[in-house]
Amino acid sequence: MDPTIEINERVDVVTVFRRQGDISSLCMPCKMRWRGQEIALTELTLRHPTVQGKRMIHVFHVSDGTNGYRLEFDAERLSWTLIAMIAERP
Amino acid sequence: MNNYDYRLNKEPPQIMHIDLNSAFASAEQQAWPALRGRPMGVTNRLSKECCVIAASYEAKALGIKVGVRRTEAMALCPDFIMLETDPSKYTWMYQNLIKIMQDYSPNIKMKSIDEGIIDFHGLAPTLKGRSLEDIGYEIKQRVYQAVGKWMRINVGIGPNRFLAKTAAGLHKPDGLDVISHKNLIEVYESLKLEDLAGIAGGYGSRLRAHGISTPLEFLAADDGLLRKQVFRSINGLYWHERLRGYEMDDQPTNLGMVGRQWVVKKPSDNDDYLRSCMHFLVETTGMKLRYRNVEARGVCVWVEFSAGGGWRDKRMHRSTCYTNEDIWERVSRLFDHRPKHMVVRTMGLYLYELTPSSRSQLGLFEDVAKADYLTKAVDEINDFYGAFTVFSADTLVGKRNVRQKIPFGGTEYFELLLKRA
Repeated sequence: MDPTIEINERVDVVTVFRRQGDISSLCMPCKMRWRGQEIALTELTLRHPTVQGKRMIHVFHVSDGTNGYRLEFDAERLSWTLIAMIAERP
Repeated sequence: MNNYDYRLNKEPPQIMHIDLNSAFASAEQQAWPALRGRPMGVTNRLSKECCVIAASYEAKALGIKVGVRRTEAMALCPDFIMLETDPSKYTWMYQNLIKIMQDYSPNIKMKSIDEGIIDFHGLAPTLKGRSLEDIGYEIKQRVYQAVGKWMRINVGIGPNRFLAKTAAGLHKPDGLDVISHKNLIEVYESLKLEDLAGIAGGYGSRLRAHGISTPLEFLAADDGLLRKQVFRSINGLYWHERLRGYEMDDQPTNLGMVGRQWVVKKPSDNDDYLRSCMHFLVETTGMKLRYRNVEARGVCVWVEFSAGGGWRDKRMHRSTCYTNEDIWERVSRLFDHRPKHMVVRTMGLYLYELTPSSRSQLGLFEDVAKADYLTKAVDEINDFYGAFTVFSADTLVGKRNVRQKIPFGGTEYFELLLKRA
Protein backbone atom coordinates (compact mmCIF):
# COMPACT_ATOMS: atom_id res chain seq x y z
CA MET A 1 0.00 0.00 0.00
CA ASP A 2 1.28 3.45 -0.92
CA PRO A 3 -0.37 5.99 1.41
CA THR A 4 0.80 9.01 -0.61
CA ILE A 5 -2.04 11.23 -1.78
CA GLU A 6 -0.94 13.15 -4.85
CA ILE A 7 -2.25 16.70 -4.98
CA ASN A 8 -0.16 18.93 -7.30
CA GLU A 9 -1.99 22.17 -6.52
CA ARG A 10 -0.67 25.69 -6.16
CA VAL A 11 -1.07 26.94 -2.57
CA ASP A 12 -0.58 30.13 -0.56
CA VAL A 13 2.26 29.80 1.93
CA VAL A 14 3.48 32.07 4.71
CA THR A 15 7.22 31.57 5.13
CA VAL A 16 9.71 32.76 7.73
CA PHE A 17 13.27 33.47 6.63
CA ARG A 18 15.52 33.46 9.66
CA ARG A 19 18.52 35.70 10.03
CA GLN A 20 20.80 32.93 11.20
CA GLY A 21 20.91 29.22 11.84
CA ASP A 22 21.93 26.18 9.89
CA ILE A 23 20.75 25.81 6.32
CA SER A 24 18.03 23.34 7.25
CA SER A 25 16.27 25.89 9.46
CA LEU A 26 16.87 29.20 7.66
CA CYS A 27 13.65 29.03 5.68
CA MET A 28 10.50 27.62 7.28
CA PRO A 29 7.03 27.48 5.74
CA CYS A 30 4.75 28.24 8.69
CA LYS A 31 1.24 28.36 7.31
CA MET A 32 -0.47 27.11 4.18
CA ARG A 33 -3.86 27.82 2.66
CA TRP A 34 -5.17 24.89 0.69
CA ARG A 35 -8.72 24.60 -0.67
CA GLY A 36 -9.81 27.44 1.60
CA GLN A 37 -8.42 25.82 4.72
CA GLU A 38 -5.58 27.30 6.75
CA ILE A 39 -3.06 24.76 7.97
CA ALA A 40 -0.42 25.66 10.57
CA LEU A 41 2.85 23.90 9.80
CA THR A 42 4.69 23.04 12.97
CA GLU A 43 7.69 20.97 11.87
CA LEU A 44 10.10 20.98 8.97
CA THR A 45 11.11 17.34 8.71
CA LEU A 46 13.33 17.46 5.62
CA ARG A 47 14.37 20.02 3.07
CA HIS A 48 16.38 19.36 -0.03
CA PRO A 49 17.02 21.06 -3.35
CA THR A 50 16.50 19.54 -6.76
CA VAL A 51 16.49 20.83 -10.30
CA GLN A 52 14.09 20.70 -13.20
CA GLY A 53 16.25 21.65 -16.15
CA LYS A 54 17.84 24.94 -15.08
CA ARG A 55 15.06 25.69 -12.58
CA MET A 56 15.96 25.27 -8.94
CA ILE A 57 13.24 23.65 -6.86
CA HIS A 58 13.36 23.48 -3.06
CA VAL A 59 11.46 20.55 -1.62
CA PHE A 60 10.07 21.02 1.89
CA HIS A 61 8.63 18.11 3.84
CA VAL A 62 6.54 19.64 6.61
CA SER A 63 4.07 18.47 9.20
CA ASP A 64 1.08 20.04 10.93
CA GLY A 65 1.51 17.65 13.84
CA THR A 66 -0.92 15.19 12.28
CA ASN A 67 -0.34 14.97 8.56
CA GLY A 68 2.81 15.24 6.45
CA TYR A 69 3.02 17.44 3.34
CA ARG A 70 5.47 17.75 0.49
CA LEU A 71 5.70 21.35 -0.66
CA GLU A 72 7.84 22.53 -3.54
CA PHE A 73 9.09 26.07 -4.00
CA ASP A 74 10.02 26.96 -7.56
CA ALA A 75 12.84 29.49 -7.20
CA GLU A 76 12.40 30.81 -10.73
CA ARG A 77 8.63 31.20 -10.80
CA LEU A 78 8.44 32.02 -7.08
CA SER A 79 5.53 29.67 -6.59
CA TRP A 80 4.57 27.10 -3.98
CA THR A 81 2.98 23.79 -4.98
CA LEU A 82 1.54 21.20 -2.64
CA ILE A 83 2.75 18.02 -4.31
CA ALA A 84 1.53 15.30 -1.95
CA MET A 85 0.50 14.43 1.58
CA ILE A 86 0.43 11.41 3.86
CA ALA A 87 -2.14 11.29 6.61
CA GLU A 88 -1.06 10.35 10.12
CA ARG A 89 -2.48 6.83 10.07
CA PRO A 90 -2.38 5.76 6.44
CA MET B 1 47.91 -19.63 18.77
CA ASN B 2 48.48 -16.14 20.18
CA ASN B 3 48.15 -12.81 18.41
CA TYR B 4 51.82 -12.80 17.57
CA ASP B 5 51.58 -16.10 15.71
CA TYR B 6 48.79 -14.77 13.47
CA ARG B 7 51.09 -11.96 12.26
CA LEU B 8 48.34 -9.36 12.73
CA ASN B 9 48.72 -5.79 11.48
CA LYS B 10 49.57 -3.82 14.62
CA GLU B 11 49.22 -0.41 13.01
CA PRO B 12 46.69 1.80 14.86
CA PRO B 13 43.30 1.68 13.11
CA GLN B 14 43.10 4.58 10.64
CA ILE B 15 40.30 3.62 8.28
CA MET B 16 36.75 4.69 9.11
CA HIS B 17 33.74 3.10 7.43
CA ILE B 18 30.49 5.07 7.54
CA ASP B 19 27.23 3.36 6.70
CA LEU B 20 23.77 4.95 6.67
CA ASN B 21 21.52 2.11 7.80
CA SER B 22 18.39 1.43 5.76
CA ALA B 23 19.27 4.75 4.17
CA PHE B 24 16.40 5.22 1.72
CA ALA B 25 13.75 3.94 4.13
CA SER B 26 15.12 6.09 6.97
CA ALA B 27 15.16 9.15 4.68
CA GLU B 28 11.48 8.58 3.86
CA GLN B 29 10.66 8.14 7.54
CA GLN B 30 12.54 11.34 8.26
CA ALA B 31 10.53 13.18 5.60
CA TRP B 32 7.14 11.65 6.48
CA PRO B 33 6.54 11.49 10.27
CA ALA B 34 3.47 9.31 9.70
CA LEU B 35 5.78 6.49 8.55
CA ARG B 36 8.06 6.55 11.58
CA GLY B 37 8.07 3.40 13.67
CA ARG B 38 6.14 1.52 10.99
CA PRO B 39 7.14 -1.33 8.70
CA MET B 40 7.79 0.28 5.32
CA GLY B 41 10.06 0.03 2.34
CA VAL B 42 10.89 1.68 -0.95
CA THR B 43 10.97 0.32 -4.47
CA ASN B 44 11.98 1.75 -7.83
CA ARG B 45 8.54 1.46 -9.38
CA LEU B 46 5.40 0.34 -7.62
CA SER B 47 3.84 -2.71 -9.16
CA LYS B 48 2.27 -5.89 -7.86
CA GLU B 49 5.50 -7.87 -8.07
CA CYS B 50 8.01 -5.11 -7.31
CA CYS B 51 10.85 -5.76 -4.87
CA VAL B 52 11.84 -3.97 -1.70
CA ILE B 53 15.13 -2.17 -2.35
CA ALA B 54 15.36 -0.73 1.18
CA ALA B 55 13.37 -1.72 4.25
CA SER B 56 12.89 0.10 7.53
CA TYR B 57 14.08 -1.47 10.78
CA GLU B 58 10.50 -2.20 11.73
CA ALA B 59 10.07 -4.12 8.46
CA LYS B 60 13.37 -5.95 8.89
CA ALA B 61 12.24 -7.09 12.34
CA LEU B 62 9.29 -8.80 10.62
CA GLY B 63 11.56 -10.56 8.15
CA ILE B 64 11.00 -8.12 5.27
CA LYS B 65 14.43 -7.58 3.81
CA VAL B 66 15.92 -6.19 0.61
CA GLY B 67 14.81 -8.24 -2.39
CA VAL B 68 11.51 -9.43 -0.87
CA ARG B 69 8.61 -9.05 -3.29
CA ARG B 70 5.74 -6.79 -2.41
CA THR B 71 3.26 -9.67 -2.31
CA GLU B 72 5.47 -11.61 0.13
CA ALA B 73 5.92 -8.49 2.26
CA MET B 74 2.15 -7.94 2.38
CA ALA B 75 1.67 -11.58 3.40
CA LEU B 76 4.12 -11.10 6.27
CA CYS B 77 2.63 -7.77 7.26
CA PRO B 78 -0.69 -6.62 5.76
CA ASP B 79 0.03 -3.04 6.92
CA PHE B 80 3.35 -2.92 5.09
CA ILE B 81 3.83 0.44 3.34
CA MET B 82 5.70 0.75 0.08
CA LEU B 83 6.81 4.04 -1.47
CA GLU B 84 8.51 4.77 -4.75
CA THR B 85 12.11 5.97 -4.57
CA ASP B 86 12.84 9.67 -4.63
CA PRO B 87 16.27 9.97 -6.30
CA SER B 88 16.72 13.69 -5.60
CA LYS B 89 16.27 13.12 -1.86
CA TYR B 90 18.89 10.37 -1.76
CA THR B 91 21.42 12.18 -3.91
CA TRP B 92 21.10 15.21 -1.63
CA MET B 93 21.68 12.92 1.36
CA TYR B 94 24.70 11.46 -0.45
CA GLN B 95 26.10 14.95 -1.14
CA ASN B 96 25.68 15.88 2.53
CA LEU B 97 27.52 12.76 3.62
CA ILE B 98 30.37 13.50 1.19
CA LYS B 99 30.65 17.11 2.38
CA ILE B 100 30.91 16.00 6.01
CA MET B 101 33.45 13.29 5.22
CA GLN B 102 35.62 15.67 3.18
CA ASP B 103 35.97 17.93 6.22
CA TYR B 104 38.08 15.25 7.86
CA SER B 105 40.28 13.92 5.08
CA PRO B 106 40.99 14.52 1.40
CA ASN B 107 41.20 10.77 1.02
CA ILE B 108 37.61 9.54 1.00
CA LYS B 109 35.97 6.91 -1.15
CA MET B 110 32.24 6.36 -1.53
CA LYS B 111 31.46 2.67 -1.80
CA SER B 112 27.84 3.26 -2.69
CA ILE B 113 25.14 5.88 -2.28
CA ASP B 114 24.92 5.25 1.47
CA GLU B 115 28.37 4.16 2.58
CA GLY B 116 31.85 5.52 2.35
CA ILE B 117 35.38 5.31 3.72
CA ILE B 118 37.63 7.94 5.26
CA ASP B 119 41.34 7.20 5.23
CA PHE B 120 43.13 9.02 8.06
CA HIS B 121 46.65 7.94 7.13
CA GLY B 122 49.06 10.85 7.44
CA LEU B 123 46.50 13.10 9.09
CA ALA B 124 47.59 12.77 12.74
CA PRO B 125 48.77 16.43 12.97
CA THR B 126 45.38 17.74 11.82
CA LEU B 127 43.50 15.60 14.33
CA LYS B 128 45.21 17.44 17.23
CA GLY B 129 45.17 14.43 19.48
CA ARG B 130 41.51 13.58 18.93
CA SER B 131 40.70 9.90 18.69
CA LEU B 132 38.93 8.46 15.65
CA GLU B 133 36.12 7.33 17.97
CA ASP B 134 35.56 10.94 18.98
CA ILE B 135 35.49 11.97 15.32
CA GLY B 136 33.12 9.10 14.53
CA TYR B 137 30.61 10.36 17.12
CA GLU B 138 30.97 13.87 15.76
CA ILE B 139 30.24 12.67 12.21
CA LYS B 140 27.10 10.94 13.47
CA GLN B 141 25.94 14.17 15.09
CA ARG B 142 26.63 16.14 11.95
CA VAL B 143 24.62 13.74 9.81
CA TYR B 144 21.70 14.02 12.28
CA GLN B 145 21.90 17.80 11.99
CA ALA B 146 22.21 17.87 8.21
CA VAL B 147 19.65 15.22 7.31
CA GLY B 148 17.58 14.52 10.38
CA LYS B 149 17.37 12.73 13.70
CA TRP B 150 15.68 9.70 12.21
CA MET B 151 18.83 8.70 10.32
CA ARG B 152 20.82 5.83 11.76
CA ILE B 153 24.55 5.73 11.14
CA ASN B 154 26.97 2.93 11.79
CA VAL B 155 30.63 3.77 12.10
CA GLY B 156 33.41 1.21 12.04
CA ILE B 157 37.11 1.86 12.57
CA GLY B 158 39.82 -0.59 11.63
CA PRO B 159 43.33 -0.96 10.25
CA ASN B 160 42.00 -1.81 6.77
CA ARG B 161 38.79 -1.35 4.81
CA PHE B 162 37.61 -4.89 5.43
CA LEU B 163 37.90 -4.65 9.22
CA ALA B 164 36.43 -1.14 9.27
CA LYS B 165 33.37 -2.46 7.40
CA THR B 166 33.19 -5.46 9.73
CA ALA B 167 33.31 -3.10 12.71
CA ALA B 168 30.51 -1.00 11.23
CA GLY B 169 28.30 -4.08 11.10
CA LEU B 170 28.83 -5.20 14.70
CA HIS B 171 26.09 -3.16 16.37
CA LYS B 172 23.36 -2.18 13.94
CA PRO B 173 21.68 0.23 14.02
CA ASP B 174 23.59 3.26 15.17
CA GLY B 175 26.74 1.57 16.50
CA LEU B 176 30.34 2.67 16.62
CA ASP B 177 33.01 0.01 16.98
CA VAL B 178 36.75 -0.26 16.63
CA ILE B 179 38.63 -3.36 15.57
CA SER B 180 42.38 -3.45 16.12
CA HIS B 181 44.93 -6.22 16.61
CA LYS B 182 44.03 -6.11 20.31
CA ASN B 183 40.42 -7.28 19.94
CA LEU B 184 40.49 -8.91 16.50
CA ILE B 185 40.47 -12.48 17.84
CA GLU B 186 37.49 -11.80 20.16
CA VAL B 187 35.57 -10.19 17.29
CA TYR B 188 36.19 -13.18 15.01
CA GLU B 189 35.10 -15.50 17.82
CA SER B 190 31.76 -13.70 17.97
CA LEU B 191 31.06 -13.89 14.23
CA LYS B 192 29.91 -16.54 11.78
CA LEU B 193 31.69 -17.12 8.48
CA GLU B 194 28.95 -15.46 6.43
CA ASP B 195 29.07 -12.38 8.69
CA LEU B 196 32.36 -11.47 7.02
CA ALA B 197 31.89 -8.96 4.20
CA GLY B 198 32.55 -10.70 0.89
CA ILE B 199 31.90 -14.22 2.18
CA ALA B 200 28.45 -15.10 0.92
CA GLY B 201 26.97 -18.55 0.34
CA GLY B 202 29.37 -19.58 -2.46
CA TYR B 203 32.63 -18.85 -0.68
CA GLY B 204 31.13 -20.08 2.59
CA SER B 205 30.49 -23.54 1.15
CA ARG B 206 33.90 -23.61 -0.48
CA LEU B 207 35.60 -22.81 2.82
CA ARG B 208 33.56 -25.40 4.70
CA ALA B 209 34.49 -28.02 2.11
CA HIS B 210 38.08 -27.46 3.23
CA GLY B 211 37.28 -27.72 6.92
CA ILE B 212 37.05 -23.97 7.56
CA SER B 213 33.76 -23.20 9.25
CA THR B 214 34.48 -20.20 11.52
CA PRO B 215 36.24 -16.86 11.01
CA LEU B 216 38.89 -17.98 13.49
CA GLU B 217 39.62 -21.11 11.46
CA PHE B 218 39.71 -18.90 8.37
CA LEU B 219 42.30 -16.70 10.10
CA ALA B 220 44.36 -19.69 11.10
CA ALA B 221 44.32 -21.19 7.58
CA ASP B 222 47.62 -21.36 5.78
CA ASP B 223 48.01 -18.96 2.83
CA GLY B 224 49.06 -21.84 0.57
CA LEU B 225 45.84 -23.71 1.36
CA LEU B 226 43.72 -20.61 0.66
CA ARG B 227 45.56 -19.75 -2.55
CA LYS B 228 46.02 -23.21 -4.07
CA GLN B 229 42.99 -25.13 -2.85
CA VAL B 230 40.19 -22.95 -1.51
CA PHE B 231 40.18 -19.94 -3.83
CA ARG B 232 42.56 -21.33 -6.46
CA SER B 233 43.74 -17.85 -7.25
CA ILE B 234 45.61 -14.88 -5.83
CA ASN B 235 42.37 -14.14 -3.95
CA GLY B 236 43.43 -16.72 -1.38
CA LEU B 237 46.49 -14.64 -0.51
CA TYR B 238 44.42 -11.47 -0.47
CA TRP B 239 42.01 -13.03 2.05
CA HIS B 240 44.93 -14.26 4.16
CA GLU B 241 46.26 -10.71 4.45
CA ARG B 242 42.88 -8.95 4.63
CA LEU B 243 41.81 -11.01 7.66
CA ARG B 244 44.97 -9.86 9.46
CA GLY B 245 44.24 -6.19 8.90
CA TYR B 246 46.50 -5.51 5.92
CA GLU B 247 45.02 -3.35 3.15
CA MET B 248 44.11 -5.31 0.03
CA ASP B 249 41.15 -3.32 -1.25
CA ASP B 250 42.52 0.09 -2.18
CA GLN B 251 43.39 -0.70 -5.78
CA PRO B 252 41.41 1.15 -8.47
CA THR B 253 39.37 -1.12 -10.71
CA ASN B 254 39.25 -0.79 -14.47
CA LEU B 255 36.03 0.19 -16.15
CA GLY B 256 34.94 -2.93 -18.03
CA MET B 257 31.57 -2.04 -19.43
CA VAL B 258 28.94 0.66 -19.58
CA GLY B 259 25.27 -0.18 -19.98
CA ARG B 260 21.71 0.05 -18.87
CA GLN B 261 18.91 -2.41 -18.29
CA TRP B 262 15.21 -1.87 -17.77
CA VAL B 263 12.28 -3.88 -16.49
CA VAL B 264 9.68 -3.17 -19.18
CA LYS B 265 6.89 -1.08 -17.68
CA LYS B 266 4.17 -2.89 -19.59
CA PRO B 267 5.60 -6.17 -20.89
CA SER B 268 4.91 -6.15 -24.59
CA ASP B 269 5.81 -7.52 -28.02
CA ASN B 270 5.01 -4.21 -29.72
CA ASP B 271 8.03 -3.44 -31.87
CA ASP B 272 7.55 0.35 -31.96
CA TYR B 273 7.26 0.53 -28.17
CA LEU B 274 10.24 -1.72 -27.50
CA ARG B 275 12.45 -0.02 -30.12
CA SER B 276 11.71 3.42 -28.72
CA CYS B 277 12.48 2.25 -25.19
CA MET B 278 15.70 0.55 -26.33
CA HIS B 279 16.66 3.73 -28.17
CA PHE B 280 16.13 5.67 -24.95
CA LEU B 281 18.38 3.21 -23.09
CA VAL B 282 20.99 3.80 -25.79
CA GLU B 283 20.84 7.58 -25.22
CA THR B 284 21.35 7.19 -21.46
CA THR B 285 24.19 4.70 -22.06
CA GLY B 286 25.77 7.16 -24.52
CA MET B 287 25.66 9.84 -21.83
CA LYS B 288 27.45 7.50 -19.41
CA LEU B 289 30.04 6.57 -22.03
CA ARG B 290 30.92 10.18 -22.75
CA TYR B 291 30.79 11.06 -19.05
CA ARG B 292 33.55 8.49 -18.50
CA ASN B 293 35.33 9.81 -21.60
CA VAL B 294 35.68 6.39 -23.21
CA GLU B 295 34.74 4.79 -26.52
CA ALA B 296 33.52 1.25 -27.06
CA ARG B 297 34.07 -1.40 -29.70
CA GLY B 298 31.84 -4.13 -28.38
CA VAL B 299 28.04 -3.97 -28.25
CA CYS B 300 25.75 -6.48 -26.51
CA VAL B 301 21.95 -6.43 -26.51
CA TRP B 302 19.75 -8.77 -24.50
CA VAL B 303 16.09 -9.36 -23.67
CA GLU B 304 14.19 -11.65 -21.31
CA PHE B 305 10.75 -12.92 -22.21
CA SER B 306 7.67 -13.07 -20.00
CA ALA B 307 7.18 -16.69 -21.03
CA GLY B 308 10.67 -17.50 -19.71
CA GLY B 309 14.02 -17.67 -21.39
CA GLY B 310 15.71 -14.88 -23.24
CA TRP B 311 17.87 -13.83 -26.15
CA ARG B 312 21.16 -12.04 -26.46
CA ASP B 313 23.53 -11.06 -29.22
CA LYS B 314 26.80 -9.23 -29.23
CA ARG B 315 29.26 -7.99 -31.75
CA MET B 316 32.77 -6.62 -31.73
CA HIS B 317 33.45 -3.88 -34.26
CA ARG B 318 36.74 -2.70 -35.69
CA SER B 319 35.97 0.95 -35.07
CA THR B 320 34.78 2.46 -31.80
CA CYS B 321 31.43 4.11 -31.16
CA TYR B 322 30.97 7.31 -29.17
CA THR B 323 27.94 9.25 -30.37
CA ASN B 324 24.34 8.21 -29.66
CA GLU B 325 23.81 7.82 -33.37
CA ASP B 326 26.73 5.38 -33.71
CA ILE B 327 25.61 3.34 -30.71
CA TRP B 328 21.99 3.17 -31.84
CA GLU B 329 23.00 2.08 -35.34
CA ARG B 330 24.91 -0.88 -33.89
CA VAL B 331 22.39 -1.71 -31.19
CA SER B 332 19.34 -1.51 -33.47
CA ARG B 333 21.00 -3.83 -35.98
CA LEU B 334 21.30 -6.47 -33.25
CA PHE B 335 17.98 -5.68 -31.57
CA ASP B 336 16.03 -6.12 -34.83
CA HIS B 337 17.18 -9.73 -34.99
CA ARG B 338 15.58 -10.73 -31.69
CA PRO B 339 12.75 -13.29 -31.85
CA LYS B 340 9.67 -11.26 -32.70
CA HIS B 341 6.16 -11.82 -31.28
CA MET B 342 7.60 -12.66 -27.87
CA VAL B 343 6.49 -10.53 -24.93
CA VAL B 344 9.56 -8.82 -23.49
CA ARG B 345 9.84 -8.47 -19.72
CA THR B 346 13.34 -7.05 -19.28
CA MET B 347 15.83 -5.67 -21.75
CA GLY B 348 19.19 -4.02 -21.75
CA LEU B 349 22.45 -3.35 -23.47
CA TYR B 350 26.06 -2.89 -22.57
CA LEU B 351 29.12 -1.59 -24.35
CA TYR B 352 32.46 -3.26 -23.75
CA GLU B 353 36.07 -3.19 -24.94
CA LEU B 354 36.36 0.36 -23.71
CA THR B 355 39.28 2.59 -24.58
CA PRO B 356 40.02 6.20 -23.54
CA SER B 357 38.37 8.60 -25.93
CA SER B 358 40.57 10.34 -28.49
CA ARG B 359 37.76 12.55 -29.81
CA SER B 360 39.46 15.72 -28.65
CA GLN B 361 42.17 15.14 -31.27
CA LEU B 362 41.78 16.53 -34.76
CA GLY B 363 39.95 14.05 -36.97
CA LEU B 364 40.95 13.13 -40.48
CA PHE B 365 37.42 12.99 -41.81
CA GLU B 366 35.19 16.03 -41.73
CA ASP B 367 31.89 14.13 -41.46
CA VAL B 368 33.11 12.24 -38.37
CA ALA B 369 34.25 15.47 -36.77
CA LYS B 370 30.86 17.08 -37.48
CA ALA B 371 29.00 14.23 -35.77
CA ASP B 372 31.30 14.60 -32.76
CA TYR B 373 30.75 18.36 -32.61
CA LEU B 374 26.99 17.87 -32.82
CA THR B 375 27.07 15.32 -29.99
CA LYS B 376 29.20 17.67 -27.88
CA ALA B 377 26.82 20.57 -28.54
CA VAL B 378 23.76 18.47 -27.60
CA ASP B 379 25.50 17.25 -24.43
CA GLU B 380 26.30 20.83 -23.45
CA ILE B 381 22.71 21.97 -24.01
CA ASN B 382 21.43 19.04 -21.94
CA ASP B 383 23.99 19.77 -19.21
CA PHE B 384 22.73 23.29 -18.90
CA TYR B 385 19.01 22.96 -19.45
CA GLY B 386 18.55 19.46 -18.03
CA ALA B 387 18.95 16.03 -19.56
CA PHE B 388 16.80 15.24 -22.58
CA THR B 389 16.10 18.87 -23.41
CA VAL B 390 17.33 17.83 -26.87
CA PHE B 391 16.80 14.19 -27.71
CA SER B 392 16.03 11.91 -30.61
CA ALA B 393 12.32 12.03 -31.55
CA ASP B 394 12.40 8.25 -31.86
CA THR B 395 12.92 7.97 -28.07
CA LEU B 396 9.75 9.89 -27.18
CA VAL B 397 7.79 6.82 -26.09
CA GLY B 398 10.82 5.50 -24.19
CA LYS B 399 11.32 8.82 -22.43
CA ARG B 400 7.74 8.65 -21.12
CA ASN B 401 8.14 5.13 -19.84
CA VAL B 402 11.71 4.52 -18.66
CA ARG B 403 12.40 5.96 -15.23
CA GLN B 404 15.69 6.76 -13.63
CA LYS B 405 16.47 4.19 -10.98
CA ILE B 406 18.65 4.45 -7.95
CA PRO B 407 22.07 2.98 -8.64
CA PHE B 408 23.44 0.55 -6.09
CA GLY B 409 27.09 -0.30 -5.80
CA GLY B 410 29.13 2.16 -7.81
CA THR B 411 28.78 5.87 -7.41
CA GLU B 412 30.52 6.76 -10.67
CA TYR B 413 27.48 8.32 -12.26
CA PHE B 414 26.02 10.38 -9.44
CA GLU B 415 27.07 13.71 -10.86
CA LEU B 416 25.42 12.68 -14.12
CA LEU B 417 22.38 11.52 -12.17
CA LEU B 418 22.15 14.85 -10.39
CA LYS B 419 21.90 16.64 -13.72
CA ARG B 420 19.09 14.31 -14.67
CA ALA B 421 17.22 14.45 -11.36
